[in-house]
Amino acid sequence: MKKITLTLKINDEKYEIITYPNRTLLEILRDDLLLTGTKESCGEGACGACTVLLDGLPVRSCLLLVTEAKDCEITTIEGLAKGEKLDPVQESFIEHHAIQCGFCSPGMILTARSLLNHNPAPTEEEIRFAISGNVCRCTGYAKIVEAIQALSNRGRE
Amino acid sequence: MRLPPFEVLEPATLKNALSMLEKHKGKVKIVAGGTEIVGLMKLGLSVPPYILSLRKIKNLQGIKESKGQIIIRSNTTLREIIESSLINDLFKGISQAANLVAAPPIQNRATIGGNIFQNSRCMYYNQSELFRNGLKPCYKAGGVMCRAVKGGNRCFSVYQSDMAPALISFNAKAKLEKSDSSRTILISDLFTGKGENPHSIGENELLTDIIIPIPKGQYSSAYEKLRIRKSLEYPLMSSAVFVSGNMNGEVIDARIVLGAAGSSPKIIDKASKVLKGKKPSNKDIEAASGAVLQFVEVADNLPVPASYRRKMAVIYTKRAIQKALKDLRKDR
Ligand SMILES: Cc1cc2nc3c(=O)[nH]c(=O)nc-3n(C[C@H](O)[C@H](O)[C@H](O)COP(=O)(O)OP(=O)(O)OC[C@H]3O[C@@H](n4cnc5c(N)ncnc54)[C@H](O)[C@@H]3O)c2cc1C
Ligand code: FES
Ligand code: FES
Repeated sequence: MKKITLTLKINDEKYEIITYPNRTLLEILRDDLLLTGTKESCGEGACGACTVLLDGLPVRSCLLLVTEAKDCEITTIEGLAKGEKLDPVQESFIEHHAIQCGFCSPGMILTARSLLNHNPAPTEEEIRFAISGNVCRCTGYAKIVEAIQALSNRGRE
Repeated sequence: MRLPPFEVLEPATLKNALSMLEKHKGKVKIVAGGTEIVGLMKLGLSVPPYILSLRKIKNLQGIKESKGQIIIRSNTTLREIIESSLINDLFKGISQAANLVAAPPIQNRATIGGNIFQNSRCMYYNQSELFRNGLKPCYKAGGVMCRAVKGGNRCFSVYQSDMAPALISFNAKAKLEKSDSSRTILISDLFTGKGENPHSIGENELLTDIIIPIPKGQYSSAYEKLRIRKSLEYPLMSSAVFVSGNMNGEVIDARIVLGAAGSSPKIIDKASKVLKGKKPSNKDIEAASGAVLQFVEVADNLPVPASYRRKMAVIYTKRAIQKALKDLRKDR
C-alpha cells in the first residue's frame, strides 16, 4: 500500500496530509490532526458520536474514507465557536442543561447547527427526526430537544 | 477498528470506471456512499485490494423524467430522493422507504445503488473477526454449516434493504453497464435468492440507472417497516404495496413485496390475486395479508425471534395494504 498526499479543508483551514489510503476521516481528525472534539464510539455508523458536517450536512466520519472527503468543506465542533464566542447552539445546550457527560455533544450540536441552517424554524417533530441518528446515553433527549427548540427562528445571530 | 489495506481508484468518467472494473475484475469493490461497505471492510468481511470511488463521476447523480419513466441515477443519495417532490408525488412507497432507512446522517451519504447492492446480514456473520474466529465458518463465510439453524443446509442470511422492495413494487428496472455492453433488467431479477451471494451482478458491471415506469391511471403505494426503535435500524420485516384501480377502491392491479423475509425481496403473487378485480373488503385484506405467511423464510438470526417476524409480516402487510387503498380513494 502506497502513501498518498491529499488536502482537506477543515473549519476553513487547509491541511496537507500524507497518509495511507485506508484511513477514515475520523482517524485523520483525531489521530493525525488532534482535532479530538470529534468522538469515536461504535465505529460502525450506529451512534453519531463521530458526526461532522460535510458540505454542511451531518455525516458519519467513522464510515467516511478520508479520500472521499477531498474537495469538501468539513466542519468539526472546533470550527463552530468564533474565538471565545460560542455558537448560539452551544450556548443554548449549556443554558438548557442539554449536556451531561458531553460525549454525544459535538455530534448533537453539529447536527442541530445544520438543521437550523437549512430550516431556521423546525417543528419538534423535525428536530426529533434530525437528531434521531445521534445516540445520547445521559440526557434523555428532552433537554436537547428543548435547547434546539429555543433557537427556532433565531437563526445564526 | 482499522481498515485493511487497499489502493483507491478514482476515475473521473464512467468510461474509465468501467475499464478499471474490467482490468481489476474480482479484485475491486465499488464505494458509493460507503455507509455499508466501509463497515464490512472494518469487520474483515470484505477485503478488496482495490476500491473504486464514484466520487468524481459527476453525472452519476440526479432524478429526471423521460418518456413516461423516472430515471434515478445510481449515485443519487437517499436524502435527494426524500427531498424530491417528483418521487413523493409519483411513488409514495419509495419515498417512505427512503425516509425510513437508518437516520438522516446516513441518508445524507447513502445512495440508492449502494442500498440495492447491500449484502445480506446475519447476527452470526456481521461480527468482528474475533467473534467469528471462535466458531467454524458458516456458508456465507465459505464454510459448510449454518450457525443460525442447527443442521441448516443453506445460508439463511437476511437481505434487509428498504429500497429494493419498494422499487420492485413499482416494477422498477436496473441498467447495468460494463466496458463493452449494457443490459436493463427488472430489479427483482437482480437477486439469486441465495444468502451466500444474494445478487447476480457481474464483477465488471456497474449499476448506472434505476428506471421506474410511471403507472397509468389511478394508483397508490405504501411501505411499512418493522424495527425495534424508530430510528437507525434495518428492517426486521417490511412490506411494500402497490395498487392501481379507481376512486371507489376497486383494484385493477396490485403488487405486494416483502422485505427482510429471506435472502431476497419476495413478490407475493398469491396476495395480489386476492385483491385484484374487486373492491377489497376487510376480509379480503385479511386474506391477502395472511397469504404472505407461507412465503416468509426466516431464521433466528436477527435481534427478534423468527416467530415474531413471521407474525409481523402479516400485520405489516395488512397495514401497508390498508394505507395504499385509503390513498387510492383520495381525490387528486
Ligand atoms: C447504522 C446503520 C443503519 C442502517 N440501516 C439501514 C436500513 O434501515 N435500511 C437499509 O436499507 N440499509 C441500512 N443501512 C445500510 C446502508 O447504509 C444503506 O443500505 C445505504 O443505502 C448503502 O448505500 P451506500 O451508497 O452507502 O453504499 P456503499 O457502502 O457505498 O456500497 C454498498 C454496496 O453496493 C455496491 N455498489 C454501490 N454502488 C454501486 C453501483 N453503482 N453499481 C454496483 N455496485 C454498487 C458496493 O460495491 C457495495 O458492495 C444501514 C447502515 C448503517 C451503518
Ligand atoms: S463512531 Fe461513528 S457512528 Fe458511532
Ligand atoms: S451527554 Fe452523555 S451521551 Fe449525551
